[in-house]
Amino acid sequence: MIPSQMLKGTLESCVLKVISYKETYGYEISKELQAHGFSNISEGTIYPLLLRLERNGFITAQYRESSLGPKRKYFSISTRGIEALDTFYTDWMALQNAVNTLFQNGGQNK
Amino acid sequence: MNKQTKDLNQSNNTLDEQISPENHEAFTDIICYLRGADISEYHQEVIRLDLLERVLSAQERGENIQAVVGQDYKYFCDDIIASLPPKTKKEKVFAFFDIFCWCLSILSAINIVIANETINLIRNSLTGQPLNFQIAISVGSVISALLILVIAVLVVEVILKNAFSIGKKEKMHKAKAFLIGAGITAVFLLIAWLGRATLFTVNIFVACVFTVTLYFAHRVLAKI
Repeated sequence: MIPSQMLKGTLESCVLKVISYKETYGYEISKELQAHGFSNISEGTIYPLLLRLERNGFITAQYRESSLGPKRKYFSISTRGIEALDTFYTDWMALQNAVNTLFQNGGQNK
Repeated sequence: MNKQTKDLNQSNNTLDEQISPENHEAFTDIICYLRGADISEYHQEVIRLDLLERVLSAQERGENIQAVVGQDYKYFCDDIIASLPPKTKKEKVFAFFDIFCWCLSILSAINIVIANETINLIRNSLTGQPLNFQIAISVGSVISALLILVIAVLVVEVILKNAFSIGKKEKMHKAKAFLIGAGITAVFLLIAWLGRATLFTVNIFVACVFTVTLYFAHRVLAKI
C-alpha cells in the first residue's frame, strides 16, 4: 500500500488523468485507480479531490440519469485541466529522475 | 434559503428517505456536521446530493456507507469543507440577521400572548370594561430574550460541531443533568425577579406590527 503521505500531491493529478481518458464518475474513478495499483482508494478519498479540481476549473461536472438511484455526477477534463496535467507530468518526470538517480546510481547522474 | 437551494433541499429530502436504517445514523451525523461548517447552504445541499447518490449506489451494490466515506467520518467531512469556498462576509451577516429576526419574532409573539395585559384586554373586551392597549416590557423579559437567543445559538453550534460524539459517549449522570437544569431555571427566575421593573410600555398593535415585521424580515433574508 502506498503511504497516504506519499500520495499527497500526486493523487489529485492521477484522478485528473483518469478523467482525461473519458467522461466518468466517482465510483468508476476509484475502481480505475485501484486497478492501476492505488489500493484502498475509496470514493470518499477522491470526493474532496474532485471538489477541488472542479473549483479550480480543471474539470467540469454534469448530472446524468443513472440506472441506480438519483442522477449521477459525470466529470470531464477542461482545457485548463489538460494544461495542469502536462505540467504535473513534467514535474513528476523530473522528480522520478531525481529519485532514481539518487537511489540507483548513488547520487552520480550518468 | 434561496429558491435554487430550497429546490435542491426538497429533492434531497425525498432521496434521504431511501437511505437504509443501517446507514441512516452515520449519514445524518455527516450532514449535521456539514450544517455547522463555514460553507454556504447551497454547497451543503450540493454535497448532500453527491453523498446521497454515492451512498444509494453503494446500497444497491450491497455495500454500506463506510465503503464510500471510509472509517473516519470527521476527517472525511473536514477534507470536504477544506475543498469548498468559505461563506462570504455578506452571507454571514445575512445569516446572523436572519436567525436574529426569526428568534426575536417568535419570542416577541410569545411575550404578547402571555402578557398579563393581553389577558386583561381580552377579558375586558368580553365584559365591556375600559380597554388598555399598553403592554409593559420589563427589564427581565428583555434580558431573558437576549439570553435565550445566545443560549439557543450556542446549543445549536455545540450540537452541530459535535455531531459525531453526541449521544455516543457515556450518558450524563442524572444528578448532573438535574443540577444543570436547576441552575438554568434559577438564573431565569433570578432575572425575572430582579428585572420586574418596567423598561417601557408599548401599544399592543405596535408590538404585533413589530413582530410581524421581524418575521417578514426573516423570510426576506432567508431567500437571499
